[in-house]
Amino acid sequence: MKTSPRAALPAGPAPARRGPLGTLRQGINDIASRRRLIRFLVAADLKRTHADTLVGRAWWILDPLMQMAIYWVLFALIFQRKIPDFALFLFAAILPWKWLASTLGDASTSISSRVALVRQVQFPKLVLPAASVGAGITGFGFGLVALAFFLVPYHDRISPWLLALPIIAAVQVVFILALAVGISALNAFYRDVGNLLGHALRLWFYMSPGLYSLDSLPEGPVRTILSLNPMAPILDSYRRIIWGTEEVAHGVAPDFAALAVVLVVSLILLAFAIVGFKRAEPAFARIL
Amino acid sequence: MSGAQPAILVRGLGVRYNLTLTRRTTLKSTLARLGRRSAAPGARHFWALKDLDLAVEHGETIGLIGPNGAGKSTLLLAIAGILEPSTGSIVVDGRVSTLLTLGAGFDADLTGRDNIRLAGAFLGIEGRELEALTPGILDFADIGDFIDAPVKTYSLGMKARLGFSIATAITPDILLLDEVLGTGDQEFRAKSQLRIRELMTRAKAIVMVTHDLTYVTEFCNRAVLLEQGRLVHDGAPEETVALYRERVAKKKLLAAGTSGRFEDAAAS
Repeated sequence: MKTSPRAALPAGPAPARRGPLGTLRQGINDIASRRRLIRFLVAADLKRTHADTLVGRAWWILDPLMQMAIYWVLFALIFQRKIPDFALFLFAAILPWKWLASTLGDASTSISSRVALVRQVQFPKLVLPAASVGAGITGFGFGLVALAFFLVPYHDRISPWLLALPIIAAVQVVFILALAVGISALNAFYRDVGNLLGHALRLWFYMSPGLYSLDSLPEGPVRTILSLNPMAPILDSYRRIIWGTEEVAHGVAPDFAALAVVLVVSLILLAFAIVGFKRAEPAFARIL
Repeated sequence: MSGAQPAILVRGLGVRYNLTLTRRTTLKSTLARLGRRSAAPGARHFWALKDLDLAVEHGETIGLIGPNGAGKSTLLLAIAGILEPSTGSIVVDGRVSTLLTLGAGFDADLTGRDNIRLAGAFLGIEGRELEALTPGILDFADIGDFIDAPVKTYSLGMKARLGFSIATAITPDILLLDEVLGTGDQEFRAKSQLRIRELMTRAKAIVMVTHDLTYVTEFCNRAVLLEQGRLVHDGAPEETVALYRERVAKKKLLAAGTSGRFEDAAAS
């Protein structure tokens, strides 16, 4: 047959290798242009989660409450920890932590569990971890309902600073998205990542100010190292606006400076994660 | 056939699979390999397709035939843009619709109706366009009230019918079919063949993979024989099918079916 050579190739679906900035722009465009698909995937995820349980969606609210109850039994009853309004102290940090942990768990399998789809349909794979993040945000929203109920008995701790919650949450979304994108791609190549993740998250939680506050630790290298953890200012800020501090028994201003640092770090991480993901994307169909 | 741009132009296409990074790779095996990388360079790659040239003109229907593992499905995946070429280039003129394994993207927990929306979003069909297409999809799939039941309650045939209806709802410029003509019961098979014929008249080009050689002579105006990732013959359907039959018969005579494969692999 005649396969006459043609000099100029029109722009095909797979252009030649771009620079990092071009790749980044393409990645952002992948997410922006497929918002509807992400929305459907999030909706599908919500429909599926807890769909076959007795109380259904109520688990979204019950889950963090129960987790908090367990830690409360452990620390307030057994270890006799004397922190005022300890349940609220715990809940203010457990809620955002649960958001991070469950989203990363979801994201880690978002590509590797969709073998048929990745191998047979042409679509930007970035929507998969993005959808995990979207579902996580919704879950956190349900958690906030739990928080609202929970605040009723502790109403004297409520202050206007509670309204700063979306700011902290926004910083956390960027941080979670960066990790979710990276982990989903890594787990497509190495299933070990998913296995490691659970343990890493547990260790990370104990090293984060969730069950304690960093202020309660003695000054020293340990405290300095733990305060470098990006989740430290995030959890601390939630706790400050919801619970307060050791000295003040109501919500106070979050540490905006520390949050700004976390935001900048997260944005840089996210850029690296998206570029890395886009570079790895063509391989997914081949390795799954 | 001259002058205009072909619907699909494949030049020097090679698709290489890295056998070291397949499903269930572990960090351990990668680390272990890094240690002895120098020992066996290049031994862990497999060329599913190599040096393939193919031009599909507008209005053509091409049948891809060949034994299992010849690279037929890989070629379809590459044309669809799902697999990126390792070498060479593919230029496709227009919107591609793939009918690979039907219902690949179905979410078993969602209803058929939700899956239509999800599949549409995956395929990049606009929301309004999909709304307009939905009645036609429902009508063609003909699965009745099951459309509002979760897909996990469907039979294989029902799933295939819904998948087929979705994939053929849009009129693609280029239609890629992988062993999909034989799905469903007799009635649906007749219906789907009718739909394919209809799409053929509207699509710019069709590439189909099938093991049923009668489809090739019946539907296609050209057939391509692939073996071990290489194009062996490209010509009239009857001619290519005859050549394929001849080669299969010869291979049977050679008895040990493996010998040929390894000889070629060693030569390449």
